[in-house]
Amino acid sequence: MFIERSSRTSGSSIAGFAWRVLPLLLLAILPLVAAATEAGNQGPAVLERRCLACHGPTTSMGELDLSNRETALRGGTRGPALVPEEPENSLILARVVAGEMPPAAPLSETDKQALRTWIADGAVWPGEISERRAGNDWWSLQPLRETAPPPVQARPAGWSASPVDRWILAGLEAAGLQPSPEAERRILIRRLNYALLGLPPTPEEIEQFVQDSSEDAYERLVDRLLASPHYGERWARHWLDLVRFAESEGFERDLQRDHAWPYRDYVIRSLNSDKSYLQFAREQLAGDVIEPVTRDGIVATTMLALGPVDGIGLTSAVLEEREQVREDYLEEMVGTVTQTFLGLTVNCARCHDHKFDPIAQEEYYRIKAAFQAIWPPTLPITNGGLDEFFPFGLPVQTPDERLRHESRIGVLDERMEEIDDTLGRLFRSVRPERTGNAGPQPRVRWTFDVDGRADHEALHLRLNGNTEIAEGRLRLRGVDESEEDDKAEDEKPPKPVLGVAASPRLTRDLREKTLEVWLHVENEPTKLGIPMEIRGQSGFRGAPLDGIMYVAEKEPRWQNFSIGSFRTADVGGPAEKLESGDQVQIAISYAADGTISIFRNGRLYGDPYQPDPGSQAGRLQLYGEDDSLLRFSVTDSFSIREARLYDTALPESEIDASFRAGIQDWTEAELKARMDPLMRARIAGLRAELKHLREERANIPSPQLAHAAQVRDMEPTHVLIRGAVNRKGPVVEPAGLACVPGVPTDLGLATDAGEGEWRRAIAEWIANPDNPLFPRVMVNRVWQYHFGQGLASNPSDLGFNGGEPSHPELLDWLAGDFVRQGWSLKRLHKRILMSQAYRQSSRWNAEAASLDADNRLVWRHTPRRLTGEDVRDSMLAVSGDLNRQVHGRSYRPFDLGAQIGSLRRYELTTRDTPDLRRRTVYRMNTITGGDPMLEALDCPLPAVKAPKRPSTTTAVQALSLMNNAFVQHRAKGFAARVQQEAATLDRQVERAFSLAFGRLPDVDELTSSREVVDEHGWESLSWGILNTSEFLYVR
Amino acid sequence: MFDDLTRRRWLLDAAGGFGWLALAGILGSDQGQAAPHFAPRAKRVIQVFTVGGMSHIDTFDFKPELKKRDGQPFDMPTFFGQGGNLWACPWEFKQHGESGQWVSGLLPNLAKQADHLTVVRSMVARSANHMPAVAQMNTGFILTGFPAMGAWVTYALGSENENLPAFVVLPDQKGNPWGGSVQWSNGFLPAAVQGTAFRTQGDGPPVPDLTRPEGVSETARKGAMQWLRRMNERYTATNPGDSSLDARIRSYEVAAQMQVSVPEIADLSRETDATRSLYGFDEEKTAGMAKNCLLARRLLEHGVRFVQIYQGGAGGNWDAHGSLIANHQGMADEYDRPVAALLEDLRSRGLLEDTLVMGITEFGRTPVSQGSGKNAGRDHHANCFTCWMAGAGLKPGFSFGASDELGYEPAENPVEIFDLHATALHLLGLDHERLTYYHNGIDRRLTDVHGRVLWDLFS
Repeated sequence: MFIERSSRTSGSSIAGFAWRVLPLLLLAILPLVAAATEAGNQGPAVLERRCLACHGPTTSMGELDLSNRETALRGGTRGPALVPEEPENSLILARVVAGEMPPAAPLSETDKQALRTWIADGAVWPGEISERRAGNDWWSLQPLRETAPPPVQARPAGWSASPVDRWILAGLEAAGLQPSPEAERRILIRRLNYALLGLPPTPEEIEQFVQDSSEDAYERLVDRLLASPHYGERWARHWLDLVRFAESEGFERDLQRDHAWPYRDYVIRSLNSDKSYLQFAREQLAGDVIEPVTRDGIVATTMLALGPVDGIGLTSAVLEEREQVREDYLEEMVGTVTQTFLGLTVNCARCHDHKFDPIAQEEYYRIKAAFQAIWPPTLPITNGGLDEFFPFGLPVQTPDERLRHESRIGVLDERMEEIDDTLGRLFRSVRPERTGNAGPQPRVRWTFDVDGRADHEALHLRLNGNTEIAEGRLRLRGVDESEEDDKAEDEKPPKPVLGVAASPRLTRDLREKTLEVWLHVENEPTKLGIPMEIRGQSGFRGAPLDGIMYVAEKEPRWQNFSIGSFRTADVGGPAEKLESGDQVQIAISYAADGTISIFRNGRLYGDPYQPDPGSQAGRLQLYGEDDSLLRFSVTDSFSIREARLYDTALPESEIDASFRAGIQDWTEAELKARMDPLMRARIAGLRAELKHLREERANIPSPQLAHAAQVRDMEPTHVLIRGAVNRKGPVVEPAGLACVPGVPTDLGLATDAGEGEWRRAIAEWIANPDNPLFPRVMVNRVWQYHFGQGLASNPSDLGFNGGEPSHPELLDWLAGDFVRQGWSLKRLHKRILMSQAYRQSSRWNAEAASLDADNRLVWRHTPRRLTGEDVRDSMLAVSGDLNRQVHGRSYRPFDLGAQIGSLRRYELTTRDTPDLRRRTVYRMNTITGGDPMLEALDCPLPAVKAPKRPSTTTAVQALSLMNNAFVQHRAKGFAARVQQEAATLDRQVERAFSLAFGRLPDVDELTSSREVVDEHGWESLSWGILNTSEFLYVR
Repeated sequence: MFDDLTRRRWLLDAAGGFGWLALAGILGSDQGQAAPHFAPRAKRVIQVFTVGGMSHIDTFDFKPELKKRDGQPFDMPTFFGQGGNLWACPWEFKQHGESGQWVSGLLPNLAKQADHLTVVRSMVARSANHMPAVAQMNTGFILTGFPAMGAWVTYALGSENENLPAFVVLPDQKGNPWGGSVQWSNGFLPAAVQGTAFRTQGDGPPVPDLTRPEGVSETARKGAMQWLRRMNERYTATNPGDSSLDARIRSYEVAAQMQVSVPEIADLSRETDATRSLYGFDEEKTAGMAKNCLLARRLLEHGVRFVQIYQGGAGGNWDAHGSLIANHQGMADEYDRPVAALLEDLRSRGLLEDTLVMGITEFGRTPVSQGSGKNAGRDHHANCFTCWMAGAGLKPGFSFGASDELGYEPAENPVEIFDLHATALHLLGLDHERLTYYHNGIDRRLTDVHGRVLWDLFS
């Protein structure tokens, strides 16, 4: 026999047996549930593929409809189609096996076998409801019960009258078990320290507590630890596990999210300040729209946006692919929200009604509708106009702050633009018109003697920060190093390699055309350059794109540029040879028949070509109005003197004329020489003002950025039939879940309510004192972290598959108390930690274990191995190397490797500098940049919601602890520390034991430790200590 | 009622709550093998994963109609939206061996193995996007966070050699596949079953943290290890009832064994010159893949359960949007000889009988071109592609499923990746519907709620 259930009941058939003999105080006999009946059920798939066209609900030949069980059993003109569990008596199988059906093309052996198996298994159609599921009477879907704690017969020493102790004791009594005595004080302080701070107590703290004979010594210890700033760090890590905190986007590129860390700090701060859990939850769901909006509220919504993002899929040329990616992202979000706050797996109802809980498919879409407008924050369309999905931060400003900030900037910008305008006008007023051969008339011309303005049409260029106009050209800006000196090395912007200027979108369609650019060679070019291009914006893969490209291969050449290789070709022109100071004119014409011709200095370059006229992408491209734009790129090789755009495909003669006409080639000095002194003075004055304004602008602090939820327009939410993006059902509005008592599903808003109103309403529906799941889920989590398992053992699933709680009344009492105590997590901790149940020793008791191996009755304290973060942090703490800096940007224990293809590489470093010796919660949590040691110690993949962590013991883990460079560094630091802090070897060994274990060595240990140090040096012993079970376990 | 697999699961759960006593390696010899659901045909798996998307119509799927209609327009949506005209395979197809399997001139060595291959020409993928497509082939899902097939198999069957990881990944020297280590992740399964990626480029130990750090002498380490063992034994004795403490002591012994055994197995100089040249050590093009294929065979011989070889990485792969001819010729030149040698070598050593070899990829490539002239390529194509298998009691020299006349979509017996997974698990003696793990509300399976065993493939 094979038990299908694994960790659900954290048990086994043996434990299950023990449970059945227990008395009944605990009604919960953990159910072993049959596997999903429809799982892997191929029969219906065969029917659908091969039979339903003729024997379905619309066409029912022989009056047979095989689309559902009822009509199939009723059968057609020849009688019932099948007999469940009796394939040999089933007509349908007989006809199929005989090769009579389907006519003409018999079923394959595989399909026949599938039908046979399916009938033998009972012939269950998908969508039919298994009987093994929860109804509205399921325990977690009831209001909080207010039950008085049970009386207990005899109260053992120390056991209080607190409800926690009374329920635990009553459970033990009913099973005929005794609780364990209280743990020793040095055990208790170590246990508490790890529970609340995730760090070991110092020897001094231990001694003080052990010596403290006052009655409230334990309580004061709990209070002290709850007040420590490290408390927030420890518990933030638990929360980050739940909300799959990831600082990279995953999927193909796994680009880093540089601005996710403010959310981590928000969680730490909220926990340290004991923010009401109600507010904490609401902020994460709708903090950007709950009045008054705070910075915390905005940062908090990062939680929604943390799921993995398929940035490539979101820009696929295939609409369905894009929609699929978007739906997957939203399902992940709905799953995280409902599992985290409600302990319900609403995401399981995306394609069909929930198989185990009373949640209809439509309800999934109602919850989704409330979050429909949420997107991952992406780079705004300013950097050259690319609407791609790059993770980015949104400014963290309240509406007031934004208004003030923008109006201040707006005033400056307006004035600067005015000055720019005036300066341009003044220079142009003295610039003589071109004479003689003027060449062909372009639709638009961009000149750079003064500014990046276009003549004829208002397609004035916007420059990104790396680009400047100087000395008559558009060029890469040199970075002024002095401005950046006070920034940390990795916060400095990298030296720019590319400057970009982009036009606004076209105001008229453009088909036939010529692009012409005059380049100035700054340095002999060695890299690819795309000085001028035109591109559509609607989804970059499907969008048209053409441009002038310099290909820096062995034989450098000019080519047409296009994404992929489709429209490009080597035209066979001569190898380009350019030197610093050269000027060259390059033009490409695009003719109506699709022919592309390249020209260099007025002469045809290579051969014109027609890229595959048979296909859409091979023909002349349409650049649509309000969609396409021009983009200019400059590098340290090429700057741009002038650019022209024509709406015809110019012949060679015209291009030659344009070449011979030359460019506007006035220097500033020449133009100034044509001005009168007054004008020159005016220019000097305006420039001085401009400089001042620029400085003022630069001194306005930019708002902090956060990876917060980006809200876009709310679109109607359709129910998707079977979850398929191309099968849209009715439109639904946001609403709560009908199975949750106490809170009405109707959110009380009009259909035309705004996105913010809907989302705020769903936040208040979820995080609501009358919603029993909301507090119940959280107290169960806190219990789990303190005891090693929850009262209900699957904390993110209180539905049918999550099983039933061991102490349902206690769970409800704690939940009610949590609400009454103002949603204070610190009070909840104290309630639990002050109980005698928590203070029990972890001593083994074979008799109790034989009855309750999983310790669900809490007859002792369950010992545990430290988490991966605890291990790393504790090694830092005992070696004295821990950098206790709280908050701030994540430390990055890797180098950002060169991006190979589209993949970001995180190359782990073995560097051991103070900035990397911070607590592990501050490690940058990228999906592919994991630390093998932490992973071996069961730290979850950041993209995975981890409400529980397994604790494994493996050889790979042992190798890490033995040989990892981090451990060697800590062993070294630890050895140095004890030698510095104690004079003799005996004292040093004692110090080391106190730091690591919280106790002194006995005689044997002292002797053997001395031997190790004498023979192999201190670092061998310190290494050994860091590898002991005693150091790595907490009891 | 309490078979090995149940007991193993029980042991994994026994520490209660969070406590998982490990794992694969440690349950090893004294616990006996974990048992499959029924008698297996295969004991171990090698997957050769061609990254980037190997074109089915240029390798295994011969389409004479495509030749006839070469250059004619054909309207289909493509990932990059730049679909051109139909384009015949530029390589010549021939039938090979007694079975008469069609293989193109791109794979001359693999063609000689035609009588040992079981080819599925009607594969369908759910994504035409690299990372999700690799993820689906590995985990069944196009999303992140699910266990790879190697992790599932390790979870179910454990290792045959406690001194080695059960699931080993050999990335291409050109870098990791899309998604990197996520592709051999344990997902929500215990960390013990995740794939161990061997370092395949540069010097240094094949596994991270395998070797004793510089500056720590062997005697010093030995002395410290003895002290550590004594301390851990004392701690275990004073804290009975916690099996993970015993497991920790064992884990250090196993780790010490691995330090010796892994470098030995990874030392390919122990192979004969004849073997090395069979695989292609002597040619620059094939040397990298030859190394991985030979290492894979050595790992299997020493009891590794599941080896995954990637051919192609982010720095170079089969993703021929442009220059299909140059791209696929180059990639095939790396792939063909070593993989054919691996099959030959496994067969001559009698290993092929109970080893499942799988030639898998992300998706196929479009029957229409992308670009033209010598720059022409083919776009991603999820509707239809080809995978091959060998060994493990499969029908040799057998084809299953067929694409339509253009290789656009399956014409008969469409095979989803779930079906391929269900079939592979079945060969390993595992029922894909019974291999489950509860996570966040669902009993997860490698095959989600799909998958059918392809009985027709079994001999």
